[in-house]
Amino acid sequence: MSEYDAVIVGGGISGALVAKRLAAEGKRVLILEAGADDGDKPETYRAYHTAYQLNPIKVPNSPYAQNPSAPSPTVLDIGPIAPGAPDHAGYFVQKGPLPFRSDYLRALGGTSLHWLGTCLRMQPRDFRTASEFGHGVDWPLSYDDLAPWYEQAEWELGVSGDKADNDFAGIHFSAEYDFPMEPIPKSHLDRWLEDGVRGMRVRLAGGEHSELCVASTPVARNSIPRRETYMVGGEPAGPYDAAGATGPYAFQGQRCEGNSSCIPLCPIQAKYNALKTLEQARRSGLVDIITQAVVSKVEKDPATGRITGLLYKKYAFPGASVWEMKRVEGTIYVLATNAIENAKLALASGLCGASDQLGRNLMDHPYVNVWGLAPVPIGSFRGPGSTASIPSLRDGDFRSEVAPVRLEFDNWGWNFAANAPYSDVSRMVEEEGLFGPALRHRLRERVQRQVRIGIMPEQTPSRYNRVTIDPAWRDSLGEPRPVLEYDVDEYSRAGILQGVDVTLEMFRRLGIENHTHWDPNDPGYVSLGGRGFVYFGAGHNAGTHRIGTCASDSVTDVGGRSWEHDNLWLVGCGAMPTIATSNPTLTMTALVLMAAESMKHALEGKA
Amino acid sequence: MDDRAFTLLSAMLTGYDGAALAATGCLPAYRRQVEAVAGPELAARMADAGAALAATTDDAAREAQARETVLADPDLGPLARSLIQLWYLGQWVPMPADWVSRNGARREDVARILSPLSYREGLVWDAIGAHPLGAKPQGFGAWAQEPPASPEAGS
Repeated sequence: MSEYDAVIVGGGISGALVAKRLAAEGKRVLILEAGADDGDKPETYRAYHTAYQLNPIKVPNSPYAQNPSAPSPTVLDIGPIAPGAPDHAGYFVQKGPLPFRSDYLRALGGTSLHWLGTCLRMQPRDFRTASEFGHGVDWPLSYDDLAPWYEQAEWELGVSGDKADNDFAGIHFSAEYDFPMEPIPKSHLDRWLEDGVRGMRVRLAGGEHSELCVASTPVARNSIPRRETYMVGGEPAGPYDAAGATGPYAFQGQRCEGNSSCIPLCPIQAKYNALKTLEQARRSGLVDIITQAVVSKVEKDPATGRITGLLYKKYAFPGASVWEMKRVEGTIYVLATNAIENAKLALASGLCGASDQLGRNLMDHPYVNVWGLAPVPIGSFRGPGSTASIPSLRDGDFRSEVAPVRLEFDNWGWNFAANAPYSDVSRMVEEEGLFGPALRHRLRERVQRQVRIGIMPEQTPSRYNRVTIDPAWRDSLGEPRPVLEYDVDEYSRAGILQGVDVTLEMFRRLGIENHTHWDPNDPGYVSLGGRGFVYFGAGHNAGTHRIGTCASDSVTDVGGRSWEHDNLWLVGCGAMPTIATSNPTLTMTALVLMAAESMKHALEGKA
Repeated sequence: MDDRAFTLLSAMLTGYDGAALAATGCLPAYRRQVEAVAGPELAARMADAGAALAATTDDAAREAQARETVLADPDLGPLARSLIQLWYLGQWVPMPADWVSRNGARREDVARILSPLSYREGLVWDAIGAHPLGAKPQGFGAWAQEPPASPEAGS
């Protein structure tokens, strides 16, 4: 009899939620986390904040020191790829033809430490794109099947949102339900854009017309808890208490105060991160966490396919040249690292091979910036990174021809697009020769008018976009490095260009001077029909172990349970058959909660 | 370079007065940084130029003088431009190659944010009517309001 009912690999959102749910049923749980010790200490979190301030390059992983024993990819790794010459400057080995531009973080709390917090639901037709539009695949479940789990996910993550603002394209909310917290206010920019586009109709592919609207974005960021009781996933819940993460007052979450640094970290932990759920899980007394533990192999019984144990390398400190191999057993096993690490570990362990889907269908949102100068000051560089978007291009019959996109408003000027305000200061001082009051006034005049809109297209699954491993490429512990093949197809490119056209039409209507410039030498420069643009990664790594209805075309069942290995679950964004136009975390969380239910039934011998 | 000369020069270059600059707490560290890169001779020239500028009371004349005696000077100009960026961004911008070949390489002359304080006190955030990303938040919902119409602090 093993000591643990469940052994979970990875202490991010998925692992933490599975642990919390199983512990609530009295199960004994172990989490193995590759990241460094002390990730749950308030001092560590404060050190992240200091590192962020000191790092001259502010990218999502800037606050988090690279750990040589459990390396993370960073967006700064990206370089050119030539045929036969993969880019291996960073942790990934990129075989192309295009670079996969996203990162993740291997630390306690996972990538949730640097995520933005966006919690959008998928739209009903997103679950059946193959039958509706002839692209992608259909999900093994519908919006209505997932709705009760969405409700629970929104309460687990602590989402601030407005139902009335988000019931577009068939998304609907039960009358007895509401988000646990009131919506985060729209920014001044959001409302200026909203006033400007009111009544604006645009023509889309296939001749369809759409009237643009602006919706506030539901986010896992503390605002004002609603004081009512609601039906959440069929159970009464509330009033909601906002949660914090580390520190003596973690039980009492802080309200967002507008630090304007959600990515790469919220200094006051008003934004959700998985440390919150880990803390809640640990209060059960049934959850153990071993850090600095890199799982190397998932062992299986060759006769039955059942998992018999995990081998992990326990290193003494980040960068230590020695490690100790250890083994642990449980009744069930859960891979909850992320889409790329889950695939890597399962591939390295020779698991889930029958469908030939493991590691394939790697998806992201190839994200394109369009930016300009508004005719009036719009209040940039204040508030959460994004508080609203235009959902009007997320769904429509045009999806048969071009990919849907979400048009995301950015509250931080040209920070992402052009490294503002650093680049503004540098240009004005070094090239324009400005100094003194003239410099000061010019900065205000220019930077306060910076508008950026992000175009986030659906990327459909492709068997050629994939994670593999190769014995030639290993990290310092001897573990395989992810080898990636990635491309952005014409469907997504066409959708992006439709999004660019609509955005530029908005710019003309509002008098925004277009300053978008895409450098043809950028590794993310691609084109369609002679029109080029630069895409970035959105950090939305998904699809590598998708759920499905049968063992021949998916890796797990709808509950995340491996078709081939009876006591193994794979959870996380890798479970998603398609990625739609919503940031994937909320949907991932809903699936994780479903998976936890499936595990609970299995442990109770019901399935 | 004494504190007074350095403050006068910094005020001239940044458009913020001496009190606003002193309030950042960064004056001593920034003076040491400039002196370390400049060396004693250039530091003395900079101090003299700062004192001369402070003695000129007419704004237009002083601006012309600043361009002529500091910003257009091949040795003082790069130092002054890096000093402006240090004040605005908390970050040192290294000297160009021709400057280094004339004046020598210094270990302090590397691109870096001097301290978490210097990041937070970057003048750019006040200049643009915002706050440093990740510090000095304006409060829940402040982002929903119109941006301030004119400079509020440190004038």
